[in-house]
Amino acid sequence: MNKAVTIIVQLIGLYFLYWLGSVIQKVLHLFIPGSVIGLILLFALLSLKLVSERWVQKGAGFMITHLPFFFIPATVGIVSYAYIFKGKGMLLIAIGMFSTALVMGLSGAVAQKMIRRMDGSYE
Amino acid sequence: MVPMNNFIIGLAVIVSTILIYWGSVTFYKKCRHIYTAPIISSTVVTIVILLIFQIPYETYMIGGQWIDHLLGPAVVGLAYPLYQYRNMLKKMLLPVVTGTFIGAVVGITSGLFLSKWAGFSELIINSIVPKSVTTPVAMAIAETSGGAMPLAAVFVMIAGIGGVLIHPFVLRYFRLNHYIGRGVGMGSASHAIGTAISMERDDLEGSISTIAMVLSAVFVSIIAPGLTVLLL
Repeated sequence: MNKAVTIIVQLIGLYFLYWLGSVIQKVLHLFIPGSVIGLILLFALLSLKLVSERWVQKGAGFMITHLPFFFIPATVGIVSYAYIFKGKGMLLIAIGMFSTALVMGLSGAVAQKMIRRMDGSYE
Repeated sequence: MVPMNNFIIGLAVIVSTILIYWGSVTFYKKCRHIYTAPIISSTVVTIVILLIFQIPYETYMIGGQWIDHLLGPAVVGLAYPLYQYRNMLKKMLLPVVTGTFIGAVVGITSGLFLSKWAGFSELIINSIVPKSVTTPVAMAIAETSGGAMPLAAVFVMIAGIGGVLIHPFVLRYFRLNHYIGRGVGMGSASHAIGTAISMERDDLEGSISTIAMVLSAVFVSIIAPGLTVLLL
């Protein structure tokens, strides 16, 4: 029971940061989603030690463990868009896969080349 | 009486969504195959139930919007793992940040150009652009840039599951044999689904993948709107 209360209180805190992020987005006319602004805020607060790790640990851990649950209603919404994948729409699956392969290969290759160079300079 | 009815419908949707989710998590624990990932089986089961009982999506969303509402705080919570791995991040800051940034740019531009070249509508293009980041962030980006949230979620699944299916070939082709290269690649391209695979292989690779996934969400949401306006 105690754990449930802790999670709920921490969730309210996360919700507050999300709300704050959304307000910042509106006031400054930013394109970055309010939730991502909230993420950056929380990371800054944790890094500056203005927020203790223990204040968010359980709530954030709970939400991340059950992340898929929170987007079930959104993915179910595909019923309204199923028609897009008919016929020519099949091409979108190929585009998505090909683009994903490029992202995986190039981002990884750049990171690996850089770390090898760094390691090399220490030797 | 109508608001009362809505309350009951909403409650019924939430309770059944929890039950369906719990069922699919239990099933996934027994049968660890990527096609049985909870998000996929929960979505399929829910859609089948809606179709069988002829429940309109709007009715389902009376309860669904309450769950939808918690996506924002869930994204905020991703700051926590990023903070947990801050020391590792500090040590490898430049390679991880640069690699993830390149991944974000490559993902946005290749998705945009390929779908534009194939002649798809702006609604579809704006939904495919954020596909390499975790679902709640991709949906938020799609919403602000004129895409469709559910469609964005489907492209995220294509990037996640597709990425897992092709990753053995991609890692071999690009000779990614260092855990940093693999982790950055998996997290940048296939978000949480890729991270889960990295975690199974190696803890270090999994942590790098987590960092890449969160960084990628931040980068893509910052770059995507501007790049889309510029290139579309």
